[in-house]
Amino acid sequence: MDKDIILKVENLNVDFGEDRIIEDLSFDLKEKELLVILGPNGAGKSTLLKTLLGLIPYQGKIQWKDSVHIGYVPNEFVIPDNLPLNLKEFFQFKGDSLGKIFQALEWVGIKASEKVLKKRLYTFSSGQLRRTLIAWAMSDEPDIIFLDEPMLFIDIHGRETIYDSLVKIWEEKKQSIILVSHEIGEVCKKADKILALNKRKLFYGPPEEVITPQNLAKIYGSSISL
Amino acid sequence: MVGVFVGGVAGYLGSLMVTKRMALVGDALGHAALPGIALALIYGFNPSWGAIPALFLGILLIWFLEIHTKLPMEALTGIVFTASVAIAFLFLPENEVSTALIGDISKISLSDTIFSVILSLVVFIVLKKMFSKMILTSLSEDLARVEHIDTKKLNFIYLICIAIVVALGIKVTGSLLMGALVITPAAAARNTASNLFQYSFGSLIIGAISCVLGILLFKAFSLPAGPFVILSATLIFIISLFFKKQ
Repeated sequence: MDKDIILKVENLNVDFGEDRIIEDLSFDLKEKELLVILGPNGAGKSTLLKTLLGLIPYQGKIQWKDSVHIGYVPNEFVIPDNLPLNLKEFFQFKGDSLGKIFQALEWVGIKASEKVLKKRLYTFSSGQLRRTLIAWAMSDEPDIIFLDEPMLFIDIHGRETIYDSLVKIWEEKKQSIILVSHEIGEVCKKADKILALNKRKLFYGPPEEVITPQNLAKIYGSSISL
Repeated sequence: MVGVFVGGVAGYLGSLMVTKRMALVGDALGHAALPGIALALIYGFNPSWGAIPALFLGILLIWFLEIHTKLPMEALTGIVFTASVAIAFLFLPENEVSTALIGDISKISLSDTIFSVILSLVVFIVLKKMFSKMILTSLSEDLARVEHIDTKKLNFIYLICIAIVVALGIKVTGSLLMGALVITPAAAARNTASNLFQYSFGSLIIGAISCVLGILLFKAFSLPAGPFVILSATLIFIISLFFKKQ
């Protein structure tokens, strides 16, 4: 594996029972690269992410650079109503110090204070919770961060704020990022590579090559205006 | 003394069980212990010693059936606990029914006390060590696994802790009321807590206080302690509603 490659995937197949969810997929990711995985519902995007994280069995080859530290933002994360878990306690699950908590929250645009740290997570809006999760995943400065549809259930304004935070973090810190998304937004234009997936690899390359009206029609099955 | 330790650890465990939406599992397991309690009462040994193997058998059966039938755990727990009650009542002597169902704290010996206190402390230490990992696992199992938490091992240890606490608790409240000793203190603490620490330790304190109050009432009125313990916890729960955090 080349020195600057952090992840190499070769001939990956994932089956759920008799259904093949991911078919013969190969790609790689270099250090400090931003990879966006696009595709329609049911394309296998989240399955791919979970497979790379070692949560799902697979056939093929997934090679990680030695001692890579991973951060993860799942798409499903619900705080049960009335669970008295506050922001500080949530970060302390990872053993984060107060300094690290403040720093991570600042990265995602949450102004941290003693009062904010005492807020219970179930009182947060979806956007605040999503940004908190991103900060949580970033707090111990992983080498790579996986984000699975971080804009799910977020309104347009909230999406812009989160995307802005994400791009800002990436530009400042230059960690590798793998982002699963439905959308062809600003973050796609900033990406180093786009992987368009529908069970198998449809397109893979820099955004200017992949994000074209013809390709998008093939990915999503109808014409999409940019 | 037994009440304070067993009530406390049951309350602490309850704060996890309510979070994991497993509140009624304690209740169901209390019933699953009945055949073991029945045997212990017939042959005159400590009901907890009878309950522990019965509980492990019940848990293993639920776990085995879940893997092989893919039926929901809730349904399988229902099947196992009702079958356990049915089996127990086939051979449980009529004069021991009340002891099995609502406990009899007056029958606790010094060795029982030492055994219960030590086991309660061990379970508390284990639960405290895994508390934050369990909360994270209940929020997102995938996230917990990415954070290198062995969720299968954790759930297994957690089930063992439930089985031990249920086995200890049935001496105080009996199998019929055991579920309440786990659920009610946690529900009361959750109403008033501002953070996880207040929630878990509030639940522990309410569990211990309920047991002390119940035992004092049992001494005053010479009626069974189990129902008094649960009614004390229920009273605290009702009071907590007036101080509910928004």
